[in-house]
Amino acid sequence: MSTGQILNILCCLCGTPTPPNASATCTSCLSSQSDITRGINTEVTLHQCRSCQRWFKEENKWLGCDLESRELMGLCLEKTSGLKPKRGTKEEHKIKLTDASWVWTEPHSMRLKVKVTIQKEVDGGVILQQSFIVEYIVRNQQCPGCQANFTQGAWKHLVQVRQRVGHKRTFLYLEQIILKKQASKGALSIEVFKDGMDFYFGERGKGERFIDFLENEVPVKVKKSKKLIGTDVKSNISNYKFTSLVEIAPLCKDDLLFLPKSLARAQSSISRLTLLKNVGEVMSIVDPVTGQTGTVSGGDFWNETFRPLVTAARSRLCRYIVLDQTPVLEEKNTAKRQTSKQRRRVAELTLMKESDMGVNDDQVVVKTHIGYLCKSGDVVLCYNVADTNIVDDEAHEILQKSNLQDVVVVRKLYGGGGGEGEKKKLRTWRLQRLDMEIADDLKGKKAEDKMDEDEEDFLRELESDREMRDRVNLYKYAEGLKRKEEEGDDEEENEQDDQKVQLEELLDGLDLDAAPDEGDQMQIGGVDVTLPEFDESLAYGGQVGFAWEEGSRAQKDGIGFIDRAEKVENKTQAVQIEQFGKEFMKGSFKFT
Amino acid sequence: MATRCQYESSNEIGVFSSLTNSYALCAIGGSENFYSIFEAELAEHIPVIHTSISGVRMVGNMTVGNRRGLLVPSTTTDQELQHLRNSLPDGVVIQRVEERLSALGNCITCNDHVALIHTDLDRETEDIISDVLGVEVFRQTVAGNALVGSYCKFTNQGGIVHPRTTVEDIEELSSLTCVPLVAGTVNRGSDVLGGGMVVNDWCAFVGMDTTSTEISVVESIFKLKGEAGGDIVKDMRASLIDQLS
Repeated sequence: MSTGQILNILCCLCGTPTPPNASATCTSCLSSQSDITRGINTEVTLHQCRSCQRWFKEENKWLGCDLESRELMGLCLEKTSGLKPKRGTKEEHKIKLTDASWVWTEPHSMRLKVKVTIQKEVDGGVILQQSFIVEYIVRNQQCPGCQANFTQGAWKHLVQVRQRVGHKRTFLYLEQIILKKQASKGALSIEVFKDGMDFYFGERGKGERFIDFLENEVPVKVKKSKKLIGTDVKSNISNYKFTSLVEIAPLCKDDLLFLPKSLARAQSSISRLTLLKNVGEVMSIVDPVTGQTGTVSGGDFWNETFRPLVTAARSRLCRYIVLDQTPVLEEKNTAKRQTSKQRRRVAELTLMKESDMGVNDDQVVVKTHIGYLCKSGDVVLCYNVADTNIVDDEAHEILQKSNLQDVVVVRKLYGGGGGEGEKKKLRTWRLQRLDMEIADDLKGKKAEDKMDEDEEDFLRELESDREMRDRVNLYKYAEGLKRKEEEGDDEEENEQDDQKVQLEELLDGLDLDAAPDEGDQMQIGGVDVTLPEFDESLAYGGQVGFAWEEGSRAQKDGIGFIDRAEKVENKTQAVQIEQFGKEFMKGSFKFT
Repeated sequence: MATRCQYESSNEIGVFSSLTNSYALCAIGGSENFYSIFEAELAEHIPVIHTSISGVRMVGNMTVGNRRGLLVPSTTTDQELQHLRNSLPDGVVIQRVEERLSALGNCITCNDHVALIHTDLDRETEDIISDVLGVEVFRQTVAGNALVGSYCKFTNQGGIVHPRTTVEDIEELSSLTCVPLVAGTVNRGSDVLGGGMVVNDWCAFVGMDTTSTEISVVESIFKLKGEAGGDIVKDMRASLIDQLS
């Protein structure tokens, strides 16, 4: 068969010469005969929640997406009836969606417009392509989440987290892990009290999941109760409100513990006087003199509860200056597996109280498990056991009898460790905070001061513990970094010190008090674009949450955008194409 | 003149009838309407014969003929053969063909001088065709289709071929048949020309769906319009023939 030129035939309807096709009809006759857009809805209603700006997707599903975004386009197309083939439609009769682009609409008109291009096979195997405009009417509807927020007492499950101690460091830490793992997702509101926090959940399951999360993070005891709100005897439905009291063990990091005898024995006869090194699902303890470590599980603790001997409060910790450091190589304990590195950690420090400097010449020599971190000139925080009033009689007696050292070194002070009087050194990092309501009894100057103090203590704790930092997110703080650069790093580097905050640990991108000025520079299509100042006459009035420049978001998402200057027809003439779009043929197309 | 007609609401009238310059065959149907249309047009000049071929109504598909003769497939019953012999005018030869491709109407198309045939037909059949019909025989395809009888129709005046036939093919077929050819359709864009129409030198019948444009193409290429034909049709014919030359 020769593959030469094919002659035009006369269109069987109007007689115009036209290249032969399956129906022997010219394009204009074809398009006038068959409207491939028939059955497609060109006026669709979308629902948007006015307070959270989310879009209604389906029952109980609301989607947060920007104007002009790819997600919103997916939602729009999904809501357009007639685009999706009905079940059982033959492959060749399906409408193929080949393009969709946004059309500019007046921002306050509550309308969205999309120009849709479709292809469809009409009878005779001819493929037609046609574009048309679909208009979306935006209606306001409050989403269930916002409804619950605006209604008092809409909660179903209240989780009360409590810790009966005099400070809030545990909660500050908990807040950070909650943020990192997004555990409070689904909480309607969070309230802070003097010795705990309340989390309100809209569903029971979400609260239960939160409790599970807490059980994995801290040693807790959970007490659950429920209150009957109403019951429908006929259909056997009861409405309850659940309240769970989650009590956290009143032991905190760096507390000095006096272990019950049985517990100490269970931990390969660790010294009964130990420091609490870390609180997680289990509590890890360390003997401050020998460096021997052990763990106390939550179960062990709740079986035999005890109070810490000395709580790590600022008033109980004394500042000492390291004068000298001598490493101590412990004899190898065959019963306990220890690496040589672990054994080398213990060192003998010669210390002098900071307040005694220049007053007297009292020096103490102590062995400590963090000796390897210290060098002469460092500041360490210690408990002065000899000077402490000990409430526990048994402990008091034993401590009197034994010749334990008077000073227990707790931790080394880092950059932020300026004294209270000193100007605080700026940290190079920052933490994110949860959105919480603060109870009335925590308001006022005194309470706020206490809170700040706890926060500072918590930051110091974080600073000196790498493991703890691993469990939370630290963000770069530009101002602090700048200041540090200006001042120059005057600290000497201690090679052995592996607990210090490293720059690599810090995450980018937290803007605590982010104003829109942060977004002055924006990358659009690989080109830096300077965005204009707020201006009424601007696209979208420069409102927050709207795209700054008309079409910039669409461009970023790779969607076409038809400017307000361009004129668009509501429906274009159908044109015949040789085959379905190549892009379309490549993969299976899915809405959203 | 081209006449629109339907065989029991089917537009494929070429399946149910066949027309030559000396006789016409018509299928036996439930009603006489179809037959009457042929009768009205042709009865003055040539016999219109009611028949079936091997018991089925598809007389157009199964048979092929011209002024001189008629070929029927081997499955034709003796009774039918006898009936045809009796009805055909004197001098028209009827011959049964032992051919595997028994739908002769689909495989062969001819006028009184030339026949185009399916490429796979037997050599004996080819001989019979040239002897009985008195034509030169060419094995050909039209637009890549071997079923020349379905996709091509020509008389001593002109012919119409499948719309996708290339210029080179049309030129070649035109030089073989020695008549002008044009690409076209019948029945509102159907390319099965042999099925959609029957035609002889002065008369044509097309399916009911055929549009006026298609009819005017048919009338102009088969020269069915009297001298009083409109200027438009003349122009159209001129333009179509221009394209070919």
